[in-house]
Amino acid sequence: MLGLIVLKEIRSHLLSFRFLAVFVLLLVFVPATVVILTNDAVRQQDDYSRRQAEIESYLSRYAHFNRLGGVVQPSQPPIPFLALVRGLTSEPNLNAFDSDPLPVMFPLVDLTFIVAVLLSLAALILSYDAVSGEREDGTLRLVLTNGVRRGTVLFGKILGSAAALFLPFLTAMAAGLVVILLNPRLAWRGSDWGALAGILAGAFVYLGVFVGLGVLVSSRHASSSASILTSLFVWVLVVLVVPNLSPYAASLLRPTPSTIAVGREVNRLTDIERDELGRKLSAERRAAVVRDNPVLEGVERMGEGEVQEAIKRDPVFAKAHEIFRKESEAAWTEANRIQGAKAEVLRGDLRRREEAQTKLALGLSMASPFASFTYLAADLSNTGMRNTRHFGRLSAAFWTSYREYARKKTEEMRAANPTVDVWNTAVDVRDMPRFVYTEEALAARFKAAVVPFLLLAGLALAVFAASVLAFNRADVR
Amino acid sequence: MFRTIVRKEIAANLLSYKFFIVILLASVLVATSLFVMGRDYRNRLADYQLIRPEPGRPIAVLPPNPLSVMAKGLEDAMTRSFEVEVIGIEARTGRSSANAVFAFFPAPDFVYIVKVVLSLVALLFGFDLVCREREAGTLKLILSNPVSRATLLAGKWTGNFLSLAVPFLLVTGVGVALFALVPGPRWTGPMLGRLALILGASLAYIALFLSLGLCVSALARRSSTALVILLLVWALLVFILPNLGTLAARQAVDVPSVKAMSEKRQQIWTREVLLSISERGTWAARIAALNDEFDRLEEDYRLKFDRLVRLSKKINRVSPAAAFVYAATEIAGTGIGEESRLKEEVIRYKNRALPDLTRDRTSAAAPAFAYRCRTVGEVLAAGGLFDLAWLVVFGVVFFGASYAAILRTDVR
Repeated sequence: MLGLIVLKEIRSHLLSFRFLAVFVLLLVFVPATVVILTNDAVRQQDDYSRRQAEIESYLSRYAHFNRLGGVVQPSQPPIPFLALVRGLTSEPNLNAFDSDPLPVMFPLVDLTFIVAVLLSLAALILSYDAVSGEREDGTLRLVLTNGVRRGTVLFGKILGSAAALFLPFLTAMAAGLVVILLNPRLAWRGSDWGALAGILAGAFVYLGVFVGLGVLVSSRHASSSASILTSLFVWVLVVLVVPNLSPYAASLLRPTPSTIAVGREVNRLTDIERDELGRKLSAERRAAVVRDNPVLEGVERMGEGEVQEAIKRDPVFAKAHEIFRKESEAAWTEANRIQGAKAEVLRGDLRRREEAQTKLALGLSMASPFASFTYLAADLSNTGMRNTRHFGRLSAAFWTSYREYARKKTEEMRAANPTVDVWNTAVDVRDMPRFVYTEEALAARFKAAVVPFLLLAGLALAVFAASVLAFNRADVR
Repeated sequence: MFRTIVRKEIAANLLSYKFFIVILLASVLVATSLFVMGRDYRNRLADYQLIRPEPGRPIAVLPPNPLSVMAKGLEDAMTRSFEVEVIGIEARTGRSSANAVFAFFPAPDFVYIVKVVLSLVALLFGFDLVCREREAGTLKLILSNPVSRATLLAGKWTGNFLSLAVPFLLVTGVGVALFALVPGPRWTGPMLGRLALILGASLAYIALFLSLGLCVSALARRSSTALVILLLVWALLVFILPNLGTLAARQAVDVPSVKAMSEKRQQIWTREVLLSISERGTWAARIAALNDEFDRLEEDYRLKFDRLVRLSKKINRVSPAAAFVYAATEIAGTGIGEESRLKEEVIRYKNRALPDLTRDRTSAAAPAFAYRCRTVGEVLAAGGLFDLAWLVVFGVVFFGASYAAILRTDVR
């Protein structure tokens, strides 16, 4: 009986105008979006390889350790999955002066967005009159006079609507994937297809939530026109408002100190105040050395030449001056340490508070299935917050190897020529380690997607249970 | 007769479930949005008190714009702190930069609520105006009276527009008044003028969607068909077209990425440091040369970027939602044009402050940064008026189309 109901639902949808409209819309806009995103991803790849070539050409001519770190800063290469999902990769880059205002004004359309907004709307359009429509037509009574349980009818309706929704979506997706497959520049690997399968599974559950919601609302309402209104009301709140409000709500509940103020304070601590403290400490220490070594009397007032002369002339003075110099250096190191620790406290506090706020915002926004699905897709496709952290770890590893390289290289330079200015001399950096971005393994990404997926599945189950309850209580006349 | 129809429409709306739920939604959202964005504004204002530069320091920071409560736009980019340093401008970002959830979803400001939710609400008011009456058989009865189809259509439109616009204006008015009561921002006369213009643009935008709904409802035979068409058209106009348009424009204009620009600066700087050692110029001369090169780079970038913005504006205006966003953000002073002007002003400021800075790094007596927002007149002349007119034209065209459709309708 269930099979019969599902088939009937699918057939009646296939003949309906709304199915046709949804199908045409998806068939036009999914491939169009994929074409535009694919072209953009290829453009980004070109841009990236141009930039890397530029960096290499600069390194071959102007590399020197004073400014090398600024040139070799790691950057995220465009990944093949950008042809479908964008996640956080279209950030406006507010830290650069030439920030890009366009993505702020009009956020990108990608697969996530199409599923999350367009398809959820289509799910409501297909299911809003599942029960109320049959009641209005009078066919619900007839169906239930047969030997069929209400649960079966409801389940058949949900399955049928979901299938009628997924069919056009998968067709449109297939058309989009042909675009990706035909593009030689996008080399999709097995892990990309795995991630896509995960995202589609998430999309299925996500759409299940909305089909269930449509059926639930339609069994509570007597008329279909009231049912679509209530469905849209819930949809607007859940999809368009809750996720957008959540970071603002989190920032009101868990405020963070001003990043600009903290940044400036850190600068003051590690620059101006550090200099003051260093001067004070080194003066104290040097005075102590002078007290212990009377031969140094008056050394503070001596010029550089006189000091060098005295060192050459008098071995006792030379030995004492060596202690004097070391103490002075130690004082500056101490000043750096003290001020650095103060700055670290500020930075650590800021970081902790920002993390707490982000966590709260994530939690609040995941009340909406839209946000859960967005995070699921972003993390699976390596374009989300998880990738930001992954990239941070890779960069940290790169900087460690870079520092090691710089230490070795400068030692070599000193060994070859003791008087060389290691900072401002051109060096050959062909043997320098380069930053290599590797995508996170698929298994780890799936693990990260478990929480949003379970949330979606739980919500879907809750909606189904509620619709069964509502339908059982419904008056079918 | 016209007034009778208007009164009938308003009365029918007032009694309906649709009116109840739609007005509830719109009021809750407008109120929540004004509250949340207002609190956000006050927090940013408190931050500004901390970060405003002391006199003599070469830092350019704008105070937060009170109208960003209505239209957030590029406020985050505009209220960064631009600190002039010997090798260029360092931009520091405010508090919302660390929380990545902000980057996932657009800001729920008034413009967003109007653009997304109120357009949907207007469609829900309009989708069954003609076809429901035909389904119910009352259309015949009305038209058997001495009333022209044009009067009927105009009456329906007016009645629904009033029952939509009046609650909307009431809620917004109360929200803005509450926001203005708390200490902090001063609502000056010109600011209120801008606010009124944004409200006017919102009304034109809502009217447009009401006309679109009316048009489809006159064309479609069944109201459920009309609803399906309208929902899909709405998703297309509001979400898909403007957002795809920007990306399509990017493929037509070759603009270097932000990342490429910052890397280029690092490279030039690196080269100059090395050359200054081998070639023994004075440091100040080197800095001047470096700065000139940066400015040339920047100018080239700006030229290309302006071309990109112009093209994407042209493409995006296919969708009235984009025209509305452009108009509202520019009027509020948080739009793309204003941000671009601010950047130019910051570069000019840097060039004024730089000679002092190279001479003496510690006690630079930099002139204070001053920026004057464009006046409403300038904004309107620079494209705002075009966008507003575009909205009105869209509305009139849709209304005309619905008149043509109802003339051809078989009312039986």
